[in-house]
Amino acid sequence: MLSLAKSNTTAAGRKYVVRTMAFMGGYTAVNVAAIFGAFDEIIGKPVAWALALAVAAPVAGQIWATLSLMRESDEYVRAVVAKQFIIAAGLAMALATAWGFGESYAGAYHVPAWMIYPLFWACFGLIAPFVRGSSR
Amino acid sequence: MKNRLKLLRVERGWTQEQLGQALGVSRQAVNALETEKHDPSLDLAYRIAVLFARPVEEIFDNPHA
Repeated sequence: MLSLAKSNTTAAGRKYVVRTMAFMGGYTAVNVAAIFGAFDEIIGKPVAWALALAVAAPVAGQIWATLSLMRESDEYVRAVVAKQFIIAAGLAMALATAWGFGESYAGAYHVPAWMIYPLFWACFGLIAPFVRGSSR
Repeated sequence: MKNRLKLLRVERGWTQEQLGQALGVSRQAVNALETEKHDPSLDLAYRIAVLFARPVEEIFDNPHA
C-alpha cells in the first residue's frame, strides 16, 4: 500500500506515507526492544499488559491511517486500497487459521498470535502489485 | 469499461495529470480509466461528460445497450 501511496502525489498520499512511517516506526521500535530483552523483567507481571497495549496502539493507528487515506482519496484509490486490504486480510486469516489447526492437530510448532500483523503486511506486499484495478 | 477518454484527452493535448486535476482525481485514476481498470462512478462519468461537453454514452460504451 505504501507503493500505491508513494506513487500518488496527492496530499492524501503524502500524509499516508508520513503516518505509516510514524506508526510502523513505533511498532518496530517496541518489537526490536522486546527481541533484545528490554522487557524481560516484566514477564508475568500485570504491567506487561501495558506493553501489550502499547504495541497494539500503532496497529490501530495504521488502520486509522488507511481509512484516512481512503476517505481523502479519489474513488479509484479508495476502491483499490479496499480490494487490496480485503484480499490481504483474507489471505492472512486463512493462513493463520490453517496454521492454528495445524498446531492443534498436526503437531505444527507454536506461532504467537501477534504474528498475524506481520503476516498481513507480508500478504499485502505479495498481492498489491497484482491488484491494481478496481473493476476486476 | 471501453471508452474514448484517452482519445479525447490527447486531442486536447492534455496529460493524464492535467486531466486528473480538471476532474479532481489522481493521475492514477485517469490512467485506470483509460486502461479499463476502473469503471467510473456515475458522478465521475458525468463530470467527464461535462468537461468534454459530450453525452456520457459518447465517451463510455454502454455495456448493456
